[in-house]
Amino acid sequence: MKKERILLNIGAILGFIILLFIFNKTFDSYQMKILNLCGIYIVLGLSMNLINGFTGLFSLGHAGFMAVGAYTAGLLTMSPAMKEMNFFMKPIIPFLAKVEWPFLPALLMAGVVTAFVGFLIGSPVLKLKDDYLAIATLGFSEIIRVVFVNIQSVTNGALGLKGLPTHTNIWWSWGTAMITIVFMVFLMKSSYGRAFKAIREDEIAAEAMGISLFKHKVMSFTMGAFFAGVGGALLGNLLGTIDPNMFRFVLTFNILLIVVLGGIGSITGTTISAVIVTVAMEVLRVLDETINLGFVQIKGIPGMRMVIFSLLLMIVILFYQQGLLGTNEFSWDWFSKIKGFKKTPKKEVKQ
Amino acid sequence: MTFQVFLQHLTNGMSLGSLYALIAIGYTMVYGILRLINFAHGDIFMIATYVAFYAVVLLGMQLWWIAFPIAIIFTYLFGRLVEKAAYRPLRNSPRISVLISAIGVSFLIENLAIVVFGGRPKAFPIPPMFNKVFNISGVSIVSINFFIPVITVALLIGLVYFINKTKTGMAMRAVSKDYEASRLMAIDVDKIISLTFGIGSVLAAVGGIMWGLKFPKLEPLMGLMPGLKCFIAAVVGGIGDIRGAVLGGFILGLGEIMLVALLPELTGYRDAFAFVLLIVILLIKPTGLMGQKLSEKV
Amino acid sequence: MSILRADNITMRFGGLVAVSKFDMTLNEGEIVGLIGPNGAGKTTAFNMITGVYKPTEGSVFFQDDKRDIDITQSRPDEITKLGVARTFQNIRLFKELSVLDNVLIANHLRLKSDVFSAMLTLPNYRKEEKAMYEKSIHLLEEVGLKELMYEKSTSLPYGKQRRLEIARALATNPKVLLLDEPAAGMNPKESLELMDFIADIRERFKLTIFMIEHHMQVVMGICERIFVLDHGITIAQGTPSEIQNNEKVIEAYLGVD
Repeated sequence: MKKERILLNIGAILGFIILLFIFNKTFDSYQMKILNLCGIYIVLGLSMNLINGFTGLFSLGHAGFMAVGAYTAGLLTMSPAMKEMNFFMKPIIPFLAKVEWPFLPALLMAGVVTAFVGFLIGSPVLKLKDDYLAIATLGFSEIIRVVFVNIQSVTNGALGLKGLPTHTNIWWSWGTAMITIVFMVFLMKSSYGRAFKAIREDEIAAEAMGISLFKHKVMSFTMGAFFAGVGGALLGNLLGTIDPNMFRFVLTFNILLIVVLGGIGSITGTTISAVIVTVAMEVLRVLDETINLGFVQIKGIPGMRMVIFSLLLMIVILFYQQGLLGTNEFSWDWFSKIKGFKKTPKKEVKQ
Repeated sequence: MTFQVFLQHLTNGMSLGSLYALIAIGYTMVYGILRLINFAHGDIFMIATYVAFYAVVLLGMQLWWIAFPIAIIFTYLFGRLVEKAAYRPLRNSPRISVLISAIGVSFLIENLAIVVFGGRPKAFPIPPMFNKVFNISGVSIVSINFFIPVITVALLIGLVYFINKTKTGMAMRAVSKDYEASRLMAIDVDKIISLTFGIGSVLAAVGGIMWGLKFPKLEPLMGLMPGLKCFIAAVVGGIGDIRGAVLGGFILGLGEIMLVALLPELTGYRDAFAFVLLIVILLIKPTGLMGQKLSEKV
Repeated sequence: MSILRADNITMRFGGLVAVSKFDMTLNEGEIVGLIGPNGAGKTTAFNMITGVYKPTEGSVFFQDDKRDIDITQSRPDEITKLGVARTFQNIRLFKELSVLDNVLIANHLRLKSDVFSAMLTLPNYRKEEKAMYEKSIHLLEEVGLKELMYEKSTSLPYGKQRRLEIARALATNPKVLLLDEPAAGMNPKESLELMDFIADIRERFKLTIFMIEHHMQVVMGICERIFVLDHGITIAQGTPSEIQNNEKVIEAYLGVD
């Protein structure tokens, strides 16, 4: 039985890789960009779900973490010549001027630096709870943005960085997404995952069971920050351009929407809803833009797209608090259940 | 820095602080009664400014004294509507859901504002009486900077009287202590909560209009930063406490102005000041300067 | 030999003195009761001993084979790790989680593997995880909840939730177990069963038990010594028969004419 599961899992992953190959061959660059974004948002959604959904810490600092990751990877991968072109207002500090790393170490470094920032922020802030924690993490996220606007010799200030090498392709984004999914599944299955959930359910009881709240909260927060940083790095090297104002609260809101829609505390839910939300965000862009049908022009209404998304969030939280999946996870048993259901004749169900 | 320049900054800081205080009171009142950050408070403030803008455009500049009260009444109703739509259905839900709903409704209002009012900034109409410049022994004061603290103080006195001396005010205090016991005393808890939102919104509306008169640039996202800062002011002062909100508002307003005045090289960090202050306070005295310790029952 | 000692602990909330100079020693293997009218400060005393509150005055000590450890300023998780476990007056299970998970979580504090070997299920972790499962299932079997181990914890009937909470506390390998009104909400028959159960686990797990309880039948039937609190003050202590005949206690419970 267990062997069968493993085979099924491997089969599914292989099938998915083949699917990615096909997409890679057939999709145009716009579709590829959306596909990449889907992978990146899975990483981001899961990292927020780890902190907010599984450990029950209501953190709103994701945009800040992403900024740290995006800038770290951006500065490490950018060519020295490009840096010179970018930093015309104020030269870049010498120690960053000459570095040019390959993508993988840069990506890991982005994660590590962000995790470190998360650790530094988390240590004091995680003593707070609920809305206080929310507002403090949001505050830190804003501070990071303001600092990035102001340290021109490192970040090029409000001008941002242009011409980052666009390393991110579907192998990077979906590869990272898969690694993140596997990481989350294994983490949540382990004793540490259970400890996180215990903290979410009841802090006082968890502490009485000998779980050090501080240690586990900081652990969860730091890991979440790591993946948020990696996600930010992938995003930066996908778009090729970053500036501090990209990393406003709206970005955190989008990720929150993914987590809430998928079901707070479900890996499967987050993964599915990351794809749905990302695709919908792009598809609904038409609402904001003017569509030219040749004979007639339909005027877009700027802002309409986000109206729909905020409405969606409200509807989910007001009427379907469980989201798509609640805290349930995918398992192959779903299929056997469906099969089992089909086998059962309707008469017997009635009895 | 000469004494005159200092006074100049001081008056500026006082009027900014008064505005912060006014908006912070709304946060503190709602928090006191619902234990919830009303994320949409900054957006209610924004709506008030827009409504005032359109009312003045429709009625003409001379009739601003009709236009502004219309905006205030509209905002009062709007605040109650927000409460009914986004918070009341979640009265018995986990806090995290309410918080998400609060964020959701805030985004909804902001984006609806972009759709309805357009994303481009608008200039707030300033009736001449708010725009006069006085010169008092070298210190020049725009009249609005004089009006703001005066109106704030007047509203505060009214509010404190209302809360402490009227029956409804007493009911509000009761509800903020204990829902169940209040219900047993035949207080309509939902109605009181709704009213609290309404009053908070009125204060936000007055604050918003005065904000518009001081910084006459309207944008759909204009409520975001002041909203966050005023929440911080409320926390710094001790959330749930009206005196705390006023104190916090003034600390923040004066602090920001003085930071820029005394350390001009930190001007770029002006918006970070509030957050740094918040984090420092939360770490040193999480209950705020005037707050009382609440401990969880085990 | 004494195992847990409270030295004149006092708890003040603002002007209110919730517990005043509570002085107590628990000897190894005893069952000691703590009784008193509502609001007497019993749970506050528990909270001071288990680190939830830091006493305004006084100290708490935990005695090991040789050591005498001051736990007054320790965090609740540190105290649990030393071997003092507790239950709560208003049951605090991990609501959304299964019965088994509730007990497994209580094993986490003894886990030696770090988070990475746990995630990668390295051999050292796999061994520990297996031992945790076996221990938890065994424990659930002993308290009669094995059949229900995959159920959501809150779906259990009330009495079984109480048992689960005790099982969860036992999973932390305590030397001292603090029970906060374990029989609350139970009918007389269930209370008697619980009494047997408590006596039974004391034997099997070599526990020292300190319990708050309102059901006099339970307290008198099982406790070897009893402390009586009233308005935060220890008004009496002694054997059940001494307490039953103590005038101050009768006054506190029945009021004075």
